Amino acid sequence: MELDDVLTELVAHSGDRLLRVGYQLTHDRAAAQDLVQEALLRVYGSVRRRGRAPEDWYAYLRRAVINEYVRTRRLRSSTEVVTDMVPERPAAGCQEDRIADRAQLWAALGALSSRQRAVLVLRYYEGLADREIAALLGCREASVRSLASRGLAVMRQLAVPVGIAEEDRT
Amino acid sequence: MSNIEDDIGQVMAGHDVEAPGAADLLRALEHASGPRRRRVRRYRAGWYLPLTAAAAVAAVAVGSAWAGGLLGGRQQAPATVHGGAGRVPRLSCPASYAGQAPWVPARPAGVDGRSRLVPQRTPSSALVCAYTGSNTANRQAGWALSGRRSLTGGLAGLAGQLTWQPRRRPGQPTACTLVGGKQTNYLIGLTYSGGGTIWVAATHDPNDCVSSSNGKFASFGVVGPRVSRAFASGRWPARQPVSCNRPGQDIGRLGQDTAMVPAGSTSLTICAPTARTLTSGYQTLVSALNSLPARPSTRSCSPTPRPSAPKYQLLFSYPQGPPVLVSIISGCHPEIDNLSLQSNSASSILPIIQQLLTPK
Repeated sequence: MELDDVLTELVAHSGDRLLRVGYQLTHDRAAAQDLVQEALLRVYGSVRRRGRAPEDWYAYLRRAVINEYVRTRRLRSSTEVVTDMVPERPAAGCQEDRIADRAQLWAALGALSSRQRAVLVLRYYEGLADREIAALLGCREASVRSLASRGLAVMRQLAVPVGIAEEDRT
Repeated sequence: MSNIEDDIGQVMAGHDVEAPGAADLLRALEHASGPRRRRVRRYRAGWYLPLTAAAAVAAVAVGSAWAGGLLGGRQQAPATVHGGAGRVPRLSCPASYAGQAPWVPARPAGVDGRSRLVPQRTPSSALVCAYTGSNTANRQAGWALSGRRSLTGGLAGLAGQLTWQPRRRPGQPTACTLVGGKQTNYLIGLTYSGGGTIWVAATHDPNDCVSSSNGKFASFGVVGPRVSRAFASGRWPARQPVSCNRPGQDIGRLGQDTAMVPAGSTSLTICAPTARTLTSGYQTLVSALNSLPARPSTRSCSPTPRPSAPKYQLLFSYPQGPPVLVSIISGCHPEIDNLSLQSNSASSILPIIQQLLTPK
């Protein structure tokens, strides 16, 4: 069956960007594609039923992606294994550790709860203000700050980023 | 913003290219669409590359590549399509990054690209093209396009930041760290009302050491991390206040190759054991630094100073664009360096700094 032109247009216009957000949330290509696909089809079906298109398609779809992510993570969380093992921390101040540190930060992002990760992705990847994130997640701004703060605390515990000091740059 | 918050944005942007593309999604949806869609069965490709694998240190010389590679590669199909009635050209990303970084597909057209990296005005549009590879790869040219993004915000900030990037003179020595790893070469295509276009090559590499260039003006400023953030979010990131401790700051400013402290600074941060920021009363220091005999910087000094010798980093901030960093290392010859100029003696400067650090 041929895809509806509207859906094709949506994917062409926002697909790459949504998939990048999906990948930031899931850290997995296949899961990111599933996530965005589900969100797209949900939105598409909903818009078709209502017969009214949103003003900002990307924002609308992004909200659907985030909601889908939080929803599916919640369903899946009972199957996840929690560990008390903290990754080994790198020695601070060594330039060669920088890339390893970044990998550790990336891994630490994966250890956050779905809502914490969603908040950090929206704040640091999508560049949204806490007020916008609160509206998107349907919670209060204070809750966003609290989720971000707790997420950052976990990140600090799991990964100690080490950068190149300015004087070492040249 | 704390370091970890900076790093999170950079780490996220660094993994951007691993995301699947819209073409894959379209193919999947072709199968999944319909009134009673079926779940798409997908096979995991298993090609995820852990970033740690790129952490091996290799001897990669990247510092002096700018002049030879620039525009030296084969020319691509035209990256500029002239629009109709509005006379604002439309840019498209070249399919591959033909030369060694920094490389641009075309020289500036209709705007001045000789005196600055980009014109001192807000562009009408900004397109960012990404080409990802590794600085340890055998092939340092011909990298395929890995992503493109039109920036939807912060274009005035982009202009403010890039227009003040410091000039890099051909042959200017640079000492670089030699960390091997992922490198993303970016092309930033800017269009201007009236029809001008300019491409800027900027690179995010593990050593922060590849120059930026528009084909006529080269700069040693570190803009790659900021371009990565813009590429990730779709808007140019807001400027951050200077910090004595934050690594990877965009430091160095147009004009610092002719004056140790270019005119127009609005604050001074003295990085000493305790940092101090002044918004007035430091003009004597500026005048003293600018009156010293100076020569082009070699970015090195000798011999190594005693541990107890005074060391200061002076960060001069401006309303727009990057700050100027003047490093003072007492006992190391030459003692003063702003990355573009050097002066031998700090003996007349140290008392002024001490006075500025003294609580009033």
